[in-house]
Amino acid sequence: MLSWLLKLPPFAYRAPESLEEGLELLAAGDGEARVLAGGQSLIPMLALRLARPSLLVDLRRVPGLAEVKEDGAGLRIGALTTELVAERDPLVRARSPLLLEALDFIGHPAIRSRGTVVGSLCHADPAAELPAAALVLGAELTARSLGRGSRTIPARDFFLGPFTTALEFDEVVTEVRVPAAPPAEGTCFLEVSRRPGDFAMVGVAAAVTREGDRVVDLRLALTGVGDRPRLLTLDELGLEGRASSEGLFSEAGRSVGARLRPPEDLHASATYRRHLSTVLTERALRTAFGRADIRGGAAGA
Amino acid sequence: MRALVPAERYTGASVRRVEDERLLTGRGTYVADVRLPGMLHAAFCRSPLPHARIVAVHTESARLAPGVVAVFDGAQMAQMASPVASLIESSPSGGKVSFGILAVDKARLVGDPVALVVAESRALAEDACELIQVDYEELAPVVTVEQALDPNLPAIFEELGGNRLFGPETKVFGNVDGAFARADRVVRASIHQHRHQNVPMEGRAILASFDPSSGQLLVRASTQGVNTTRRMLAEQLRMPLDRLRVVAEDVGGSFGLKFGASREEVACCAASRALGRPVRWIEDRWENLTVSGQAREESFEVEAAVTAGGLILALRVQMVIDSGAYPGFAPLVVDTVREMMPGPYRLEALAFTSSGVVTNKASYVAYRGPWAAETFVRERMVDLVAQELGISAMEVRLRNLATRDEAPLRMVTGPSLAGITARDSLLRAAEMVDLASLQEHQRQLREEGRYLGVGFATYIEPAPGPRQEGGEENTERVRVELDREGSLLVHTAQMPHGQGHRTTLAQVAADEFGMRLGQVRVMVGDTQRTPEGFGTGGSRFAAMAGGAALHGARRLRGKVLEAAAQILDLAPAELDISHGELVGPGVPGGRLPLAELVRRIELAARSGQLPPGTDADLTATEDFDGGQSGWSGGTHCCVVEVDPDTGLVRILRYLVVEDCGDLINPAVVDGQIRGGVAQGVGAVLLERSAYDPQGQYLSATLMDYLLPTSLDIPHIEIEHLIPVRLDPDVNFRGVGEGGMIAAPPTICNAIADAISPFGAKVLEQHLPPARIVELIGAISA
Repeated sequence: MLSWLLKLPPFAYRAPESLEEGLELLAAGDGEARVLAGGQSLIPMLALRLARPSLLVDLRRVPGLAEVKEDGAGLRIGALTTELVAERDPLVRARSPLLLEALDFIGHPAIRSRGTVVGSLCHADPAAELPAAALVLGAELTARSLGRGSRTIPARDFFLGPFTTALEFDEVVTEVRVPAAPPAEGTCFLEVSRRPGDFAMVGVAAAVTREGDRVVDLRLALTGVGDRPRLLTLDELGLEGRASSEGLFSEAGRSVGARLRPPEDLHASATYRRHLSTVLTERALRTAFGRADIRGGAAGA
Repeated sequence: MRALVPAERYTGASVRRVEDERLLTGRGTYVADVRLPGMLHAAFCRSPLPHARIVAVHTESARLAPGVVAVFDGAQMAQMASPVASLIESSPSGGKVSFGILAVDKARLVGDPVALVVAESRALAEDACELIQVDYEELAPVVTVEQALDPNLPAIFEELGGNRLFGPETKVFGNVDGAFARADRVVRASIHQHRHQNVPMEGRAILASFDPSSGQLLVRASTQGVNTTRRMLAEQLRMPLDRLRVVAEDVGGSFGLKFGASREEVACCAASRALGRPVRWIEDRWENLTVSGQAREESFEVEAAVTAGGLILALRVQMVIDSGAYPGFAPLVVDTVREMMPGPYRLEALAFTSSGVVTNKASYVAYRGPWAAETFVRERMVDLVAQELGISAMEVRLRNLATRDEAPLRMVTGPSLAGITARDSLLRAAEMVDLASLQEHQRQLREEGRYLGVGFATYIEPAPGPRQEGGEENTERVRVELDREGSLLVHTAQMPHGQGHRTTLAQVAADEFGMRLGQVRVMVGDTQRTPEGFGTGGSRFAAMAGGAALHGARRLRGKVLEAAAQILDLAPAELDISHGELVGPGVPGGRLPLAELVRRIELAARSGQLPPGTDADLTATEDFDGGQSGWSGGTHCCVVEVDPDTGLVRILRYLVVEDCGDLINPAVVDGQIRGGVAQGVGAVLLERSAYDPQGQYLSATLMDYLLPTSLDIPHIEIEHLIPVRLDPDVNFRGVGEGGMIAAPPTICNAIADAISPFGAKVLEQHLPPARIVELIGAISA
């Protein structure tokens, strides 16, 4: 039943000063506590009374979670890094054009100035941009809990269903790691939404590695077309061993369209989503391929 | 206020709006900004079902919830306020329908108010709403017109004996059969306008404050007219008018929604009276989108009798309107659609059949240019005729539009077309867009697989329309008053809700009286001093209120000069009022501040120094009917590119060539046009009030009901034509509705042109990307 109420239901609110304190609150909350970061999804869900946690654990006072760093393995984006900060971060701009392109499709600057990169991944909206980008980028999430310490969850194991992740109720994602882009890889994020800033009816994250005119690797993830984004490779598309040609990209598009059973909603029928998936897959792959070329193949290092 | 215009005349200048600084810096006063001691907050328990019998309402636990002061169900409310009675004269079944302020026996749409909770805060009131249990007996929902005409489905109002609200009723103008007999061809189309709605930034809102000691009810309302709100509240609350005062300060938009008093607003007044405490209700966005009201859902079967040369001789039109759950405005709309159907075209005959049904959806309300379907249907039809005959739409328009010098210039439905410049506007729009080169460019792009389209729509708008010969006198009243501070007060029932009336009416009065703009105050929104008049609507402001203010200021100026001449022993002709001072060679010191003059007139009147017959009452009340003509109109032109693979539409150019008479304030006029076009862009590309087959409302948040943002609205180029001036003084005409009337057909015509190579035929107004790809045939519908 749709709720006609738009004020938040009653809940307790705590803003711990340390991660440990936050983890304690979550553990004690026994599944009834929710982590609050930017609040761009959780607060509207509360207002619509679609979520009814007994406790909100606001991480804003926890130090050290808002940084973007780089180490040998790639980028490390802290849990409180907002999408706008990430988008403007010189490291992100230099190292991850796909992430940058995906970030630009999220809402509007006002939303991105509060919404966090990690928050969007943990929210796991089936139409969100960042989960698809994380899959194609091979991102990994670091989750911490009070009792079990730290563990690493690869993006491909993280998204389980709509608004459902591999995270336990007492865990907090402290950062997401994005591996450095391999040389000779071109990427592209494309989406079609009803208005600029809306959730995608269909979005495509694509990465193509080429050797001259040959496609040697291809990774794709679509958003808005199922319960969660899934990583698709040449192998899975049944296109392994195919040399590059115009034909490859359109075939990949058709293959993607044929395998999807997308949802239907007010904004797009399943048929339209499938059609868009085909169109956008082909366009994104072609663009990614072209960009790989521009980078000068193996000269990326 | 800083006068930015050094010129002698304010009228015609883009004077900066006196409202802006206050409103844009957050200093406006909306109902939600007013707090009274002891104020309580209302929330409504609403039906989750579109059609159900209400068996029982259990409010016990809600009454005991924290902060709750009172809970009223439908039966209790029926004791506190009269049911709304509605009479539809053209109904086959008598058309008498009445319904409770809160739903009593039946819920008729999702969101129907079933109980009212009054609590110490809105959040507490909402928490208590969740505790109310309502036992419903579900009834089959009536969601579509087809279902409404199905005798096997239950009647939403038993007293109607079915779900047909009125009609079918046919009116015939001219020799329709003769015209069809002469026609070379009959072009047929089923054209549909989809349900969409008013979404003002401020939803409905009310703060009702009953004073038990005086028995007075003070209501702060968000309304288009305080007098209408007071009259309707008095009726529902069974209160004498003089016990009710309605005050409106700033109103955050309306577009036709906020007329009179809605059921929720009546309920809050009744609750305040029962509790003796102020009760406030601020509609939230869910309520606004779901139950405040929706518009435009109309379908048309059209036959056009045309000649091979592209003359449109006559139309046969059958219109069905879906009035939603509670009848109100819909029957009035069809009359205007019928009358306006010919528009500026030389149609010689029209047969128009109208009927209306009730459904389990939000009630039909007025929305900016409520009768706009006539322009949509006609302008789409013109393009369809052109397509079928294989001649250009421009050619068909030019062959059929009435020319200015034609006589007698009259629509086949009656109204005079004197003074219209519709044809001129079309020619100018084609020139501005450089149609010939544009079409050449279009041909070239099509060879590259790119799809450009250009669309036009030409319209006229009664703003307020020509004088009705033999009809009832229709005037607007303005009272002009010179106060003791020497300020000119202009009282009007025209209630601004975004239009800038406080600026524009002051411009007219200041010029006529001889004031600085800052010395004129436009007074609105208080039944204790607002002159009679139903409020803002029907594009009455510019011509009618503007004209009444002009004539009122002129008459008061005459009175003031007369009295001044007596006091100074001069002839009135030797005196003038300029920049808010009395000036003239005989005036001591050359000038006299008006405040000083007012004191001297009062003193002279009290001491009997004025000769008998001198009018020392420094007010003037003027009624004005808008003068001659009363048509606004013009042509819109839109150029789009459609991506045939995604269905996305990019608006490359949008032009408006229009004539709303003399401009009082060009910036305000352009703002009205742009706002209307933005809503038209929304209607075609984004906005739809959608229901599922079970009657559940799907567009209940702003993630589902998509309003255009600034990123969706193109730059809008506007050119104003030099009007035909038929009145010696007052040639201002309304401009609030035209943008929204002309934009939907213009954009649809452009899209239809773009995708015509695919053989697509556009018969609907709502064209989201998925639908465009369907029309192109890339996916199946």
